[in-house]
Amino acid sequence: MRRIISMLLQNEAGALARVAGLFAARGYNIDSLTVAPTHDASVSRLTLVTAGDDAVIEQIVKQSRKLIDVLEIADLTGSAHLESELLLVKLELDPTLPDALAGFVAFLRRHPRAQVLDIGAGVRTIEYAGNGMEVEAFLDGLAPIGRVFELARSGTAALERGAVVLAPAGPVPGS
Amino acid sequence: MTGADIVVQVLVDEGVDVIFGYSGGAILPVFDAVFRYNREHPRDGGGEPLPLIVPANEQGAGFMAQGYARASGKVGVALVTSGPGATNTVTPVRDAMADSIPIVVICGQVPTAAIGTDAFQEAPISSIMGSCAKHVFLVTDAAKLEATLRSAFEIARSGRPGPVVVDIPKDVQNAQLGFSGGGALPIPGYRARLRAIDASALDDAQCDAFFDALARSRRPLVYAGGGVIAGGATAALRAFAQAFGLPVTSTLMGLGAADTTDALSLQMLGMHGTAFANYATLDCDFLFALGSRFDDRVAGVPAQFAPHSKFIAQIDVDPAEINKVKRADWHHLGHLARALERLHAFGLARGFAPLREGTYDDWHAHVADLKRTYAMNYDRDAALIQPYAVIEEINRHTRGRAIISTGVGQHQMWAAQYFDFREPRLWLTSGSMGTMGFGLPAAIGAQFARRDRMVIDIDGDASIRMNLGELETVTTYGLPIKIVVLNNSGDGMVRQWQKLFFKGRFCASDKSLHRKDFVKAAQADGFEWARRLDRREDLARVVAEFIAFDGAAFLEVAIDPDAGVYPMIGPGMAYSEMITGDHIPSRHAPAAREVSAAEMF
Repeated sequence: MRRIISMLLQNEAGALARVAGLFAARGYNIDSLTVAPTHDASVSRLTLVTAGDDAVIEQIVKQSRKLIDVLEIADLTGSAHLESELLLVKLELDPTLPDALAGFVAFLRRHPRAQVLDIGAGVRTIEYAGNGMEVEAFLDGLAPIGRVFELARSGTAALERGAVVLAPAGPVPGS
Repeated sequence: MTGADIVVQVLVDEGVDVIFGYSGGAILPVFDAVFRYNREHPRDGGGEPLPLIVPANEQGAGFMAQGYARASGKVGVALVTSGPGATNTVTPVRDAMADSIPIVVICGQVPTAAIGTDAFQEAPISSIMGSCAKHVFLVTDAAKLEATLRSAFEIARSGRPGPVVVDIPKDVQNAQLGFSGGGALPIPGYRARLRAIDASALDDAQCDAFFDALARSRRPLVYAGGGVIAGGATAALRAFAQAFGLPVTSTLMGLGAADTTDALSLQMLGMHGTAFANYATLDCDFLFALGSRFDDRVAGVPAQFAPHSKFIAQIDVDPAEINKVKRADWHHLGHLARALERLHAFGLARGFAPLREGTYDDWHAHVADLKRTYAMNYDRDAALIQPYAVIEEINRHTRGRAIISTGVGQHQMWAAQYFDFREPRLWLTSGSMGTMGFGLPAAIGAQFARRDRMVIDIDGDASIRMNLGELETVTTYGLPIKIVVLNNSGDGMVRQWQKLFFKGRFCASDKSLHRKDFVKAAQADGFEWARRLDRREDLARVVAEFIAFDGAAFLEVAIDPDAGVYPMIGPGMAYSEMITGDHIPSRHAPAAREVSAAEMF
């Protein structure tokens, strides 16, 4: 079962490597991983998408929580949460189709959240953000219009809905 | 002060009274600071306040630090140089992690500007150790050196103890810094979790639930692990078990938690546990796991472990050990000693008096019968020297009060089975990692922690080879350590498995063609008393002389090469399939089932 785990991590040398190392050493899969500093520069938020049954996820959370740099960790899967992933994709419009450009424009109209970042000769670089399923559907929708020849996905970022926050378990340096 | 001076001052402030270390280019400033500190602070009587004990190999330093920590409960310290010095300590660091032993390893590192340039004696220690240690610090900001070192000690000894590595670039050691004499890193997440554990207390409802179950039980069993010793809960456990008449079995790491000579002690359980402990585990209806983790040498088949237990209770300081292998019906996360004292007082106040009411009388009789019927035994009439007899003979002198260290393999299991352990911190063995070569350096470290105790390394011919260089360390420092090599000309435990599971194909485990003369080796390293025992009739006399010798002594014993370790619960087997060998009775016919060699480990 797909799981989303959120982690607050102290920004220390090697902290991210220790999280990745723990997953590797204990045989946990990482489907996607995204990490960046939060509004508190001393703290990074890490979102991990993994798979496993309840027992595996319980161990992932507990073993991760033993890492000294980990401030807090939670499995968001079961709680109401929002997910988003950034997609950058390069599309080559099919030159053999007379209405390729028109098809592309129509596609963009159906996906108002998509943005064209760059326009080249027969090539468009598009930015799109959405949850995993939306990104997959967006990519599927591009297939008949042209050839996707490069893409970068950020991995899923997630937050719980409403006022609930993943709070560090103690005072954070600098806060 | 320089960074190096700060390292030394923090060690002193943390109560360190011995360092195990090997020098090298990237750690020279700290070595120099140790030298200067010792010269400037002579102890009354002229001794050094911070003696620096030099091993033959940095792995020895790591295991000496561990031996010191295991025997004393204090943090052991190893001090090594960059690159190979540091990588040689990877094994003792991982070993300390696996057995929850508090050590701090301080490594020199190439100067900050040279990191990542493939410099001479450079290795990515924070990456390598990050996978092995409880935590690793690479000190890139010299201003944080002092706080980092203090935090390293705090992390090593708090919560579930473990090894912490501090990697210090040479320029940080040479930096001119202020010394504040206090302060640590914030580590807010870790501290918050520690506070939660410290504040964790059993409420009345939890205590009631525990005693409700215990009162329903007719066959309760305590399963004590290394956490009881690490948590300083030995006295609390003994008082608790005695007050309510609970038999105690322990893991390899938990030996000494209960007095193994006690009537209600069942000694060790598991793959090579006593038959009576394993039968009691099969028969119990209430299992109380204390600082133990159902690992594969105890619960090889978790679903069939303690199959008749209707209730499993568990206390541990590490949340990750709760429900990891076996679901507990009741658990408490917190300090073992405090939890046991609380339960003890609660049980008394509740009027729980199974001893007075005879609730467990049948169980006690059953346990006594198991201990009598399935007692440890071997061929007492054999012509060749039996290893069990050697341990029994030494035990007649030491009576469960000496510090015993071991290598890994058959001799380790024989020592666990046939020695008495009347106190905690007498039994030093590489339990989880199973590191051959542990015994000799661990004995050296232990002797520095406990000058008052006899320290005996029970070793095997293969295990002692792994760190044989440390023989010289024993005599260099004038340590009165006793070393026993049970020589069966090979890797005995490997041979036992090859015999049982690989149809007797003794690949690379037979060393009968090896020509090493262990006695000459010991003599070459300065052992005045070094002898080989190969006649059965000399056993009692030679052992008596060996133990009585005032100083380091080395005894090689030519043992029966076919002696096996029994009982044995084969890998992948349940307790009901235990093999007891030819000299211990069994409750059932030997298992006929074959387990594929590919499935076992």
